[in-house]
Amino acid sequence: MKRILYVEHSACTSQLCQIRDKVRETCHFLGYSETDINLITLVIDEACTNIIRYAYSGEPGRIVLEIYRHENEAIFHLQDFAKCIDKSCLELRKTNLLEPGGLGLQIIYQVMDFVQLLPPEGEVGNILELKKHLPKGSQK
Amino acid sequence: MTFEQTKHLHYQLLALTGEVDLHNSPQVRKQLLGIVESGNSVIVDFSALSYIDSSGIATLVETYNIAKNKQLSLTIVGATGAPLQVMELTHLNKVFSMIDSLDEIKG
Repeated sequence: MKRILYVEHSACTSQLCQIRDKVRETCHFLGYSETDINLITLVIDEACTNIIRYAYSGEPGRIVLEIYRHENEAIFHLQDFAKCIDKSCLELRKTNLLEPGGLGLQIIYQVMDFVQLLPPEGEVGNILELKKHLPKGSQK
Repeated sequence: MTFEQTKHLHYQLLALTGEVDLHNSPQVRKQLLGIVESGNSVIVDFSALSYIDSSGIATLVETYNIAKNKQLSLTIVGATGAPLQVMELTHLNKVFSMIDSLDEIKG
């Protein structure tokens, strides 16, 4: 598993733009189409938004984003250092588009091939793992 | 992100430029709700919008629901690229009225 990107940012909404730029750049390097780059960027943004809103509840904190290439997949790890969340937080509940809440999670599941919470490395924190198949031409 | 609001005979136009995310969607929400709460239909111009996340989309949904209750309308014009992809991904392109150009609006 080869790490392509490691970035660490404050869990602050003003940082989202910079995180998106890094994701776009890395996805371009990995050979994704413009459509996939847009969607993957949206997914990472939604995941960071959820960390800021729900894991840290607006309190100061850090977000670490790592992107790996492994066989025919790109693997995205988003780590926070907030209180551990329950796996049920990742359950998709939204049924009506016109009701508030849950849209970000719906987008994450629709775009990515695999979504899971990894066991935390210490007593606090969460690692969200997301996987997306690489385009055929760029698989190594 | 910047926006420009202009009054027309039958609607108000809110033109968004740049990227809408959690950092600035509260500003967009304030503008949109202000328009429909004052009894005006709204057209949101996406022509110069390069990105919108779910917080921006949620703002549109909230505005749409209020507008509908007041028998007003919310229309999106000129969506392309990433913003159009988000609308299609969430199937909201089938809920909202979406047009390519302001030429399609009468009045």
